[in-house]
Amino acid sequence: MKKMIAADELAKLWIRLAEKSTLFLPVQDGPTVLYQPWKDGAQVELEAFNSAISPKDIFLPREETYLHYHCSGQSLELAAVEDDRAVTAFGIHPCDLKAIEMLDRVFMEQEPADSLYQKRREKTTVVALSCTKPDPFCFCGIFDVDPLDAPGADVMAHLVDGYMHLEARTEKGKALLEEAGDLLENSTIDKIEREIKTTDFGLDIKGLPEDLKSRFDDPAWDELYKSCLSCGVCTYVCPTCYCFDVEDYGHDAEGERFRCWDSCMFGHFTQMAGGHNPRPSRKERVRQRFMHKLQYYPEVYNEIACVGCGRCLRSCPVNLDIVQAIKALGGEKVEHR
Amino acid sequence: MSIANPLMPQMATILDITAETPDVKTLRVSGKDGLPFEFMPGQCAMLSVLPVGEAIFSITSSPTCRDCLEFSIKNVGKVSSYLHSLAPGQQIGIRGPYGNGFPVDQIKGKDLLFIGGGIGLAPLRSLIGYCFANRDDYGQIDIVYGARSPADMIRKSEVKETWAEQPNTNVHLTVDAEFPDWKGHIGFVPNYVTELAFTPANKVAITCGPPIMIKFVLQALDKLGFAPEQVITTLEMRMKCGVGKCGRCNLGSVYVCKDGPVFSLAELNELPGEY
Amino acid sequence: MAERNLEQLEKIREAVSQDLLSGRIELLLGWEKGHYWWQSRPLFASSEGDLARLTWDSFCAVNLSRYLLDELKDHQKVGVLVKGCDSRAFNRLLQDNMVQRDRVILYGLPCPGILDYNLLAAEAGSKLKGITEENGQVILKTEDGEIEVNRDEMLMVKCSECLYPDPVVYDQMLLEPLGQKEVPERFKAVNELEALSSEERFAYWEKELSRCLRCYACRQACPYCSCRECFVEQENPRWQGRAYQPSENFLFHLVRAYHGAGRCIDCGECQRACPVNIPLQELNRKLIKDINELYGDYEAGVDAEKEPPLLTYRPDDPAAFSEK
Repeated sequence: MKKMIAADELAKLWIRLAEKSTLFLPVQDGPTVLYQPWKDGAQVELEAFNSAISPKDIFLPREETYLHYHCSGQSLELAAVEDDRAVTAFGIHPCDLKAIEMLDRVFMEQEPADSLYQKRREKTTVVALSCTKPDPFCFCGIFDVDPLDAPGADVMAHLVDGYMHLEARTEKGKALLEEAGDLLENSTIDKIEREIKTTDFGLDIKGLPEDLKSRFDDPAWDELYKSCLSCGVCTYVCPTCYCFDVEDYGHDAEGERFRCWDSCMFGHFTQMAGGHNPRPSRKERVRQRFMHKLQYYPEVYNEIACVGCGRCLRSCPVNLDIVQAIKALGGEKVEHR
Repeated sequence: MSIANPLMPQMATILDITAETPDVKTLRVSGKDGLPFEFMPGQCAMLSVLPVGEAIFSITSSPTCRDCLEFSIKNVGKVSSYLHSLAPGQQIGIRGPYGNGFPVDQIKGKDLLFIGGGIGLAPLRSLIGYCFANRDDYGQIDIVYGARSPADMIRKSEVKETWAEQPNTNVHLTVDAEFPDWKGHIGFVPNYVTELAFTPANKVAITCGPPIMIKFVLQALDKLGFAPEQVITTLEMRMKCGVGKCGRCNLGSVYVCKDGPVFSLAELNELPGEY
Repeated sequence: MAERNLEQLEKIREAVSQDLLSGRIELLLGWEKGHYWWQSRPLFASSEGDLARLTWDSFCAVNLSRYLLDELKDHQKVGVLVKGCDSRAFNRLLQDNMVQRDRVILYGLPCPGILDYNLLAAEAGSKLKGITEENGQVILKTEDGEIEVNRDEMLMVKCSECLYPDPVVYDQMLLEPLGQKEVPERFKAVNELEALSSEERFAYWEKELSRCLRCYACRQACPYCSCRECFVEQENPRWQGRAYQPSENFLFHLVRAYHGAGRCIDCGECQRACPVNIPLQELNRKLIKDINELYGDYEAGVDAEKEPPLLTYRPDDPAAFSEK
């Protein structure tokens, strides 16, 4: 099913989609573009590159409550909190959708499945949007991301000459287009042709995961971490980072338990109650993060856990990003070394 | 299709709390109808006290004990100190079981050498109880257990009286230094293992204790000729989810909470040493 | 810019390589180029070879003084290139007893301000390939030709209101000083916020702080946040909850800001480090303004001998809390 709508009519589509679901869109929030639930008057920025934080928080929210508790005397009551809302994730770029598929393997394919994540994923219709103007930090090309096509999307959208073209690819996608049927006209576009130029930073990642298997004690780690500030920026903006924490919020009589994002870059992340910390310094933590992306994850899933979205390159206050790490570990084309 | 939330605890009740040492208490915990879940020796469970939080503990009772789970808990953190302060009858949250557990089938027919230090006896006790309940499946059993002082030994009467009376079983106790009432062996656990000169033939060594003890026990076993495949240990790391996702206990491509906490030394040698 | 800076760079390299070779310093904290011409990142140089990568240009934003907290653990004597703000950061650490003066060699680099790539790119319109600098102007080289813009208008926020481009403490000044700057607009944003009703002000901060990820980049980049253990991580009792509630966001940012009262050197690294652009400098400036009004003008980090107002007592200190 292929439909289209004039770009200046899109606000009507937002209103329609927001009626029956929570509609996440890239929205200008102050000086920052973030995926947020649409509300009237929101300034939608479909072409912005790239949202400051990846849209992973649609599926793995910064914080989600999953139980309420009541205590009285010695008795305790626990009640599950369920979130059943339908969601439309609109304007997800192909790199970010590929990253979400990487999270799917961790949260849905690995037993036991994470019901909170899985439910969100099942209740969400993803409208992916092909790229128009990547920024200088985009390097998705080396990770087999096609900036013009996101294979896992329910609806694949393209902005061409003042129109948004929408192709439904799944039943969920068809249902979405049918719901807005009266706002859409038929599209005749078959395939879109657009030259998307991204950089490769001179990287050559072939064989890197295999190579790193024996390089846990490589001297490169002794240098790479030095500029790290031990903040969590890289992990929080990253679309493939998924570490989390579980915490309680409330008082003795009642409250809730939630899970929230956490970061392997924080010193207390692995700190044990007795005082022992298996990753005590920045060196171990920087190594953990990059090894997880470049060796541990690929060992299980045969794919480097990076999609080249460029967010860590843009946001790290000291430019200690995954490209610098790959280069320091020798993942560079010979002529660039 | 609806799947259960693996992070959701079920209700459990503390049946009683016994002080073992100045800083260790044993909690007996039951679910609504007896055991909250089936498990194997070496597995762990998350205990919840709200709103203090959750922490993971190894189950110290044997699965052959059918009416409750037992946890021997050292008072080191927020959750453990809160658990120490509770009274029998208190309801708490529990979820599990987590982890792989000891390879009970793989070690069938072998002589077993248990080496524990301090609170490290807790996970071993589950397997020891299991082996005694299935006594014919296992060969000779030697138990080396040490602590800083006699007062720091957990399950003292059980170790001395019940275990030592089992057929084809030897119990070897030691403390780090001299104490007025102590007439047994004095010295660190690894040295005692060396002195006792265990032979590796058809034997599997299973050890748990403080990291520094484990380090030297592994060296002692190596010197006695134990191959890495004959040595089993169980790791302790910070954990929040228990289901191999939250990232704290990630070690190379494994998660200790799910793929461990029990590893043979041969397996550990293949993993980054960050534990 | 390129040529002037090359000349300057040679001068800097000569001075520091002498000291590195002679053993006067074991390590030099400087900058090297990142992936692009508009990125300069920290360099930890301990050999002549490392120094070949040294750079000095209009993008050396990262404050290097903070790295002393770690590097002085591993090295007896460390050299640091300091801009005006970096030197004030050093004084901050010195006053907090976090560094020892005699174990650090400071090389002063007067700094005309760091350029903001986003402003340059927006000005360029088409693809920006590079820049040169001349007489207070920046020449943007774009695909469609050259565009000249006023340098002062292309500065990072943290630099546009900088009072002290010249290092205030150094062992060796490597370049010609630029002189103190007039910044009439320094408290403009604070004045505007003060003019709002308390409800409006609360709404403003609630919205701005709602983006906070609590990645703690502001704290980690900050020279006044040098506590070995921050209240955020303390477990017993736990002051800071992990929830992303407005109250928790306020708690973190307000406690941090108050901890910086009279200590914040106004370097703006917090705001530069923030991945979601929270205007954190406005919070710090509000406290700077209040402290100035209550206790007389005080510029944190300018003079290490002058105690921060909240660490001293004078009988005539205002005591509004005890009146009425």
